Amino acid sequence: MANLSLKHIYKVYPNGAKAVNDFNMQIADKEFIVFVGPSGCGKSTTLRMIAGLEEITAGELKIGDTVVNGMEPKDRDIAMVFQNYALYPHMTIYENIAFGLRQRKIPDIKRDKKGNPVLDKKGKEIKIMRHYNKQELDAKVNEAAQILGITDYLKRKPKEMSGGQRQRVALGRAIVRQPKVMLLDEPLSNLDAKLRTQMRSEIVKLHKKLQTTFIYVTHDQVEAMTMGTRIVVMKDGFVKQIDTPKNLYKYPANKFVAGFIGTPQMNFFEGTLEKDGDKVHIDFKYSDAKITVPYSMLMKTTPQYLDGTKTVYIGFRAEDVTLDPDKVAESTAKIKMRISHSEELGTETLVYGDINMDGDGFAETSTRVIIKAGGFKEYSPDAICEAALDIDAIHLFDMDTEESIMPRIPEYNYLDCKVEKGKLSFLGNLVDLPPAIKIDDGNGEMLLPVSAVKFDGNIKGKVIDCEDINGQILVALEVNGGRLYALSDKVLGNGEVKIGIDFKQLILQVGKTEVQPMPTVNGLDGTFIMEKPIETITENEKTKKKKMPHYYLLVNGTKLEAPAEVYEKMFGATTGRKVYNSTYRYEWTPYDFKIADNGIEAQVIEVLDYGAEKFIKCSVGEETLYVLTDNTVSGVIKLVPDVSKVSVVESERQIRIV
Amino acid sequence: MNIDKAKVVKAKTKKVLGVLITYCILVIVAFIFFFPCLWLILASFSKSGSIYSFDGFFPKEYGGEAFKALFTDTVMYHYPKWFLNTLFIASMSCIFGTLLTILTAYCMSRFRFKSRKAMMKTTLVLGMFPSFMGTIAVYLMMTQFNLINQHWGLILIYSAQAPMGYMVQKGFFDTIPYSIDEAARIDGASNFTVFVKFILPMSKPILVYTALTAFTWPWSDFILPKMLLIDKDLYTVAVGLMSLGETEFARFAAGSIFIAIPIIVLYFCLVKYMINGMAAGAVKE
Repeated sequence: MANLSLKHIYKVYPNGAKAVNDFNMQIADKEFIVFVGPSGCGKSTTLRMIAGLEEITAGELKIGDTVVNGMEPKDRDIAMVFQNYALYPHMTIYENIAFGLRQRKIPDIKRDKKGNPVLDKKGKEIKIMRHYNKQELDAKVNEAAQILGITDYLKRKPKEMSGGQRQRVALGRAIVRQPKVMLLDEPLSNLDAKLRTQMRSEIVKLHKKLQTTFIYVTHDQVEAMTMGTRIVVMKDGFVKQIDTPKNLYKYPANKFVAGFIGTPQMNFFEGTLEKDGDKVHIDFKYSDAKITVPYSMLMKTTPQYLDGTKTVYIGFRAEDVTLDPDKVAESTAKIKMRISHSEELGTETLVYGDINMDGDGFAETSTRVIIKAGGFKEYSPDAICEAALDIDAIHLFDMDTEESIMPRIPEYNYLDCKVEKGKLSFLGNLVDLPPAIKIDDGNGEMLLPVSAVKFDGNIKGKVIDCEDINGQILVALEVNGGRLYALSDKVLGNGEVKIGIDFKQLILQVGKTEVQPMPTVNGLDGTFIMEKPIETITENEKTKKKKMPHYYLLVNGTKLEAPAEVYEKMFGATTGRKVYNSTYRYEWTPYDFKIADNGIEAQVIEVLDYGAEKFIKCSVGEETLYVLTDNTVSGVIKLVPDVSKVSVVESERQIRIV
Repeated sequence: MNIDKAKVVKAKTKKVLGVLITYCILVIVAFIFFFPCLWLILASFSKSGSIYSFDGFFPKEYGGEAFKALFTDTVMYHYPKWFLNTLFIASMSCIFGTLLTILTAYCMSRFRFKSRKAMMKTTLVLGMFPSFMGTIAVYLMMTQFNLINQHWGLILIYSAQAPMGYMVQKGFFDTIPYSIDEAARIDGASNFTVFVKFILPMSKPILVYTALTAFTWPWSDFILPKMLLIDKDLYTVAVGLMSLGETEFARFAAGSIFIAIPIIVLYFCLVKYMINGMAAGAVKE
């Protein structure tokens, strides 16, 4: 019973292959987490890193409150079920289940032969660690066997049992120790389809009964959807999305997740979007299909995709397209298609077709469409008919990045604006631009990040909606009739609020002039060194001289002493002396620097005054740094960063170590 | 119809002929194999003892005197002592050699460490040299260690050389699924526990094989004991038999046959363990 925390977990093999890339996740107690993805996506590797069977290259893994990176599997209090069961063939089922208990000791007090506590000289009970005795073992093994229904087989050997029974034994071996975390590595993939469905529900039942954190690896999206409370979709070592089954299905963050989750696969078309007043025309490529939808349905779509030139992926699930004549008649979003063939599955019929009249409906092209229709309905091949699209369920993805272009939390608010004499007007409001923003007068656009809308200021707005999206609260605001999204740290009730703008995040484009946001991260290249000066130390009440190692980050000729939590992680991520021969990128936020007498030499370029905060823009070598300041400075300054807040990226392998 | 019958008869004849030829070849090969053995057995029962008194290829008269003399006439040639010496050296080498070979193979199969591949290649290449190439070096080393004319010197050499042939054992360990080790480690077993409680019980066939090979080599070796043992009382059977006089051929033959018996018995006792199949049921195949 424990929560898990995975921070920047990497697995890099000696040949440079990255199996797991920057895995970040917080797993709450009693959750049922499923890692899903195609073969080789790193899901099993991640699980094995949690188990301790695979070394973690970089990152921090916590089970409960303990960092377990270097801990042996047996000390992590976890249990694992393997794909191939991994039962001990020469032991009986009883011994298989009992082995884990026999290896462990439990705290107890010393007792004499009659079972009475033995007291020490002070009359206190003597604490000891002892193995389980026969009765305790019997009781525990029988309890586990009973839960899994294998009580009758305890005297048998694994080879005398069927696949399903063996898997039960493997589960029994895992649950008998009552571990903090249960890890299951594709436990059902060796079973036949019927048994798999049965075991699936039994594992879910087991999770409810045991009330333990489960982490389950599978490549089967049906297993993932039916079992997990949250699912991690992975591909090529990257986490593609972490969310509940429902959210994954409804709001896939990218094309991969959209295509991976759900059978039959989502229909992907290519097309363009063109905004025309309060309407958007959707034009399907390689086909004559065109539909027009109200803009209000595509509010969260990134506006730069709405100019009618950028091709995007348009996704509709099979059940969001219908051939039902009544619905087609009512619908405003209709496309013409030619049916190619259908598959009758009993409760439903999958109709295959093509929106390109020359397409064959078999190949996975960007015009093929699969439709879920009612059971046992006849559809004649080659018939041309109309299908209605459910526009509420549209999914849009970028052509290159394949990321969703209508994310649940939009990155920016796109607004028209006007600059006049140092004042910015947008959505009917007039605000003073801080001195740091220098821009020509005129009409233009502003990109206001949702995180740059603060709930203190002079602009009046009205909260119209509040949505909790994976712990982040997205607030929809109405400002003088216009829509504005903002992030809040607490749920807000509908009503009037006052908002302000964090100008350092703002992007402005007026005429030919442009204002870019201030970078939030300052990066400096450097190395890592050790020095061993002779020091006088006191050890066991004796004073002696000893060489004591000190570790430093070397940045632009300045040595910054690294605290233990930093250098330990750096040692952990590298083997041997490689830690001293690598180059690193050390990153700090603008808030982590102090101006001092000694430190990294920097040439001040200018002081940026954003009103509430002032920053120094300065150069260190070829790098440009932004540092928070209280007063105006000029010339050469010396900067001392807070080493405990450093973030370290190893340049060669591109892995975040700290 | 007639044609069909003729065809069937022809096919049958062909089949019988094929079997006949196969058996003929087998008999010839078997004879070539067993003839020296047979000749040795016959020679051991020769009454006269000397090979020069044979009537052509086989002895003239037969009797069991040679066998009796092996154990009774111990003044010149102490056969029982040699036998015990050989048994001691072979048993000790068998125990230590097996232990070292199995541990080496387990290490190479289960652990990944620096220079593992280099070590594997080196042993493979070294194994290609005939072992007696190093005899002089071994002799010098044994002199340095003061182990000349001592059984422990031989045992040391045999045990130390045994792990060179770890490849077969490693191959066997490689077939035991690694997930069993991992499951045991998660259950709380240390590397040593995994080895003793899981790998060893599952490796009976290969253990028996290793032990047999580790036993037979010192049991029948000649070069090393001949070089290292000086006292007649310390001789092994192979060296001792070689020291027999020319007229003692029957006794030589009898001694050779007698030394073969323990190995045959050992083999028949252990062969059932060598049959594979222990890993059945461990994992889904």
